[in-house]
Amino acid sequence: MRGTHLGEFEELVLLAVAALNDNAYAVVVKSEIEEKANRKVNISAIHTALYRLEEKGFLESSVGGATKTRGGKSKRFFKVTAYGFKSLREAQSLRQSFWSIIPQLSTHE
Amino acid sequence: MKQQAPPLLLRRLLKQIIAYEIYDEVEGDLAELFHERLNEMSLAKAKWLYFIDVLCSLRNFNLKRKLTFYNPLVMYKNYFKITFRNLLKQKGYSFINIFGLALGMASCLLILLFVNNELSFDGFHEKKDNIYRLDEVQSFGAVSEQKVALSMYPMGPSLLLDYPEVIDFARFWGTNRTLLKHNNQPYYVENLARVDTSFLKMFDFKLVEGNKVTVFEEPNNIIISESLAKVIFGNENPMGQLIDVDDDRENQMKVAGVFADTPDNSHLQFDALVSTTLWDEENRGNWGWNFLNTYIQLADNADAEKLEAKLDDFLVKYLGKDILNAYSLFLQPLSDVHLGSMDITHDYYNHKKFDRSSVNIFLILAFFVLLIASINFMNLSTARAATRSREVGVRKSIGAFKGQITGQFMMESIMLSFIALIIAFLLSWAAIAPLNGIIDRNLDLSLIFQPINLVLVLIVTTTIGLLSGVYPALVMSRFNTIMALKGSGMKSGKSFFRNALVVFQYAIAITIIIGTVLATEQLNYMQNLDLGFKKDLVVAVNMYSDTNTKYDVLKTELMSQKNITNVTATKQRLGNNLHQNGMQYRSDTALITGVTSSVVVDHNFMDFYEMEVVEGRALSEEYANDKAGLSFVVNESLAKELGAGGKEVLGMAFHYDGMDTLGTIVGVVKNFNYNKLNLKVDPLFLSYQEWGWSEVNVKLKADNIQEGLAEIESVWSTLFPQRPFEYQFLDDHIDKMYRSEQQLTKVISILSVLAIIIASLGLFGLASFTVKQRLKEMGIRKVLGASVSEIVMILSKKFTALVLIAFLISAPITYYLMEGWLAGYAYSVGIGAGIFLLVGVGSWLIALLTVSFQSYRVASSNPVETLRIE
Repeated sequence: MRGTHLGEFEELVLLAVAALNDNAYAVVVKSEIEEKANRKVNISAIHTALYRLEEKGFLESSVGGATKTRGGKSKRFFKVTAYGFKSLREAQSLRQSFWSIIPQLSTHE
Repeated sequence: MKQQAPPLLLRRLLKQIIAYEIYDEVEGDLAELFHERLNEMSLAKAKWLYFIDVLCSLRNFNLKRKLTFYNPLVMYKNYFKITFRNLLKQKGYSFINIFGLALGMASCLLILLFVNNELSFDGFHEKKDNIYRLDEVQSFGAVSEQKVALSMYPMGPSLLLDYPEVIDFARFWGTNRTLLKHNNQPYYVENLARVDTSFLKMFDFKLVEGNKVTVFEEPNNIIISESLAKVIFGNENPMGQLIDVDDDRENQMKVAGVFADTPDNSHLQFDALVSTTLWDEENRGNWGWNFLNTYIQLADNADAEKLEAKLDDFLVKYLGKDILNAYSLFLQPLSDVHLGSMDITHDYYNHKKFDRSSVNIFLILAFFVLLIASINFMNLSTARAATRSREVGVRKSIGAFKGQITGQFMMESIMLSFIALIIAFLLSWAAIAPLNGIIDRNLDLSLIFQPINLVLVLIVTTTIGLLSGVYPALVMSRFNTIMALKGSGMKSGKSFFRNALVVFQYAIAITIIIGTVLATEQLNYMQNLDLGFKKDLVVAVNMYSDTNTKYDVLKTELMSQKNITNVTATKQRLGNNLHQNGMQYRSDTALITGVTSSVVVDHNFMDFYEMEVVEGRALSEEYANDKAGLSFVVNESLAKELGAGGKEVLGMAFHYDGMDTLGTIVGVVKNFNYNKLNLKVDPLFLSYQEWGWSEVNVKLKADNIQEGLAEIESVWSTLFPQRPFEYQFLDDHIDKMYRSEQQLTKVISILSVLAIIIASLGLFGLASFTVKQRLKEMGIRKVLGASVSEIVMILSKKFTALVLIAFLISAPITYYLMEGWLAGYAYSVGIGAGIFLLVGVGSWLIALLTVSFQSYRVASSNPVETLRIE
């Protein structure tokens, strides 16, 4: 089904949103990813991912929390939907199932 | 510390990039990042990174929030609802607004239909681009030069022979009314023509039966139109039937084909065609006589101008060197024949010929009427904007963007223009039948509904909606929200634009009206001008070879009737272009030849028409020379030409060219207008010859016209039982010559009335709004003691000024235009200040009336009511 596929970066963003728990808006998601993954991300890429994930139904959002540094503009807070969590778990178990059948790794351990 | 904000320019750029639903959040995020960075790095660097962020956001160009509840359909439904509520709330203005536009659109539609019909003439011939009509320019001395549509019989074949670029020719040799007989039953046919066998190959007239190529193989074949076949043969099969054709001599012809009736948009109209073959032998060498139309077809790559340049040599080759003094030839493209032949005379076979400049006038008028209507529409919408400021305020305060407000009002205006279009369709549907009657055309409304035209109409309608909606829409969307909510979004004193539009409208309307009045005056003037002969109460009855043998008996019989005052006969009817003939005269000792108009008439002709003889005498039976055809009367124009150099005209030796003995000129008649009055009186001579009459003219007693006609009929029927009696009044015939002008003025009159009605509708609407805006002011004035008339004055003053300005603008333009138009007429009315004054004052009165109707209502209302409004 179109739109259900989760890209690598998208998965990262989704995980970050899940980790941030109720305080996830674009700027903090960006800093979270930069910190954890140790890679530079442009804010626009975060925007793309967030809005696309929302469109796909992995995220839902609400508006609120304008501050002075934002020039009075409101934030959009994102939250992972049940469907989003399900997809995250599926992605994880998919990987797990691959890990479990990779022979070299299992012998070396 | 001063709060640093991201660069404004970049923020603006961002706004262009990002969809407006998510713009707020995205900009906020970027701003937050910017401020975070300010703590870590220099301002310049932060700005630079902000710029990078904005630039990278280009990728989100297409980003939209699709999951939020956003259903524009509801909004559009609301727009529609509000539009209709507003229409119904102000029924009067809505009516004026929409109906005015519909009127403009309807007249524009109908005119375009007419113009389209004019331009479609002769368009159905596949080879139309290569077909030319061969026309002549005939000149006689220095007096006159006239273009004629005629050419000589041998010209076509000789051109084909001499010039390779001419690949075909076809002659169209029309005859007079001809009597056909089938089983001894007589039928008249109006247009029987002799044509070359190539005629049907060159022109695409459809054959219903018979073969295009072989139809004229037998010289005695005839092909007839479907309707003629129906008249003669009913439901019988006409093919192979025999018809007696009494065309100069009796021929028995066989029907070899039936063609579909000639379409109305063909300049050639005919009911029956025969081949020229029967007349070929005697005319093959007939140079010097012009009596038919020649059409030639050029090769695809041929240059008509180059061929034209060679035609002088062509004339010299066949007619001698001197011929160039009297003739030159030119080629007229087939597409020009219908619309470009106004200056060509002897154009007998040019169905409904029309003036191209008139078509242009129509187009211009249609455009302006539509323009006036659109301006109205725009003006009224803008004025109405004021009453809807609260709505705009509410919309804005609950989050409508400027663009949305603009969009809403544009949509509304487009919607209204489509409603107007539907009404316009209904109006034109109702008007097309009477219009067809006036202009003598068969316009068909269904043409509009052909896909291409319909698309065009829809595009134009949308454009009108857009253009007239754009100004009010922009004004409305610019309202300050708070002011708009208070109900006073529109700043007063900003109506300059609207006033300018009113002036413009009125200027156009006044120009059109003055033009129409002048054109109508000119036409009436021409029709009532003293023609130099008495055309009233004259009945013309056609004569034929069999009736001519009994002319004397007919004349005596008719003269003895008590309601008939006089009878004469002529070879050509006055009011036609008279035929041109060769003439010869002796000046000193030299014999000079030339070409001029002439007419053969009965002895009492000049007496019959009460023409004035200025020198010598009129023709008379009492002189043996007159009876022998040796006496000639010339008109003043010809006398001037012949008498050039102080020669005595009376007694000059004179005759038709080609005669062995010369006669003498016995009189000079005062110039009379035998042509249309926009043409000068050309040289002409009259004489009595025994060449047979083409018609008898009978003068009736004024008070007993019906009895007189009955008397002619009874005499005619006793003498010529084989000929059905038919007649025409001469003044009808002469009026017919002005039909094209009459149609023009009638249509223009209607248009000009429409123009002023639409303009007044607009003014009426505008006035009522202005008045409404000043309700309170008027209330206060009244409280302070102003009288009703004073208040009406105050309100009307402004509109008077507007109309005055409009008049001052339009008067000189109109004067200039009309002077140019009238210069085209040999006899024209002068342009008096009276007309200008009349129209100026008239339009002012109309404006005043429309305005005072509104202002009076206000002025007479109770100030308590008006002051209470908040």
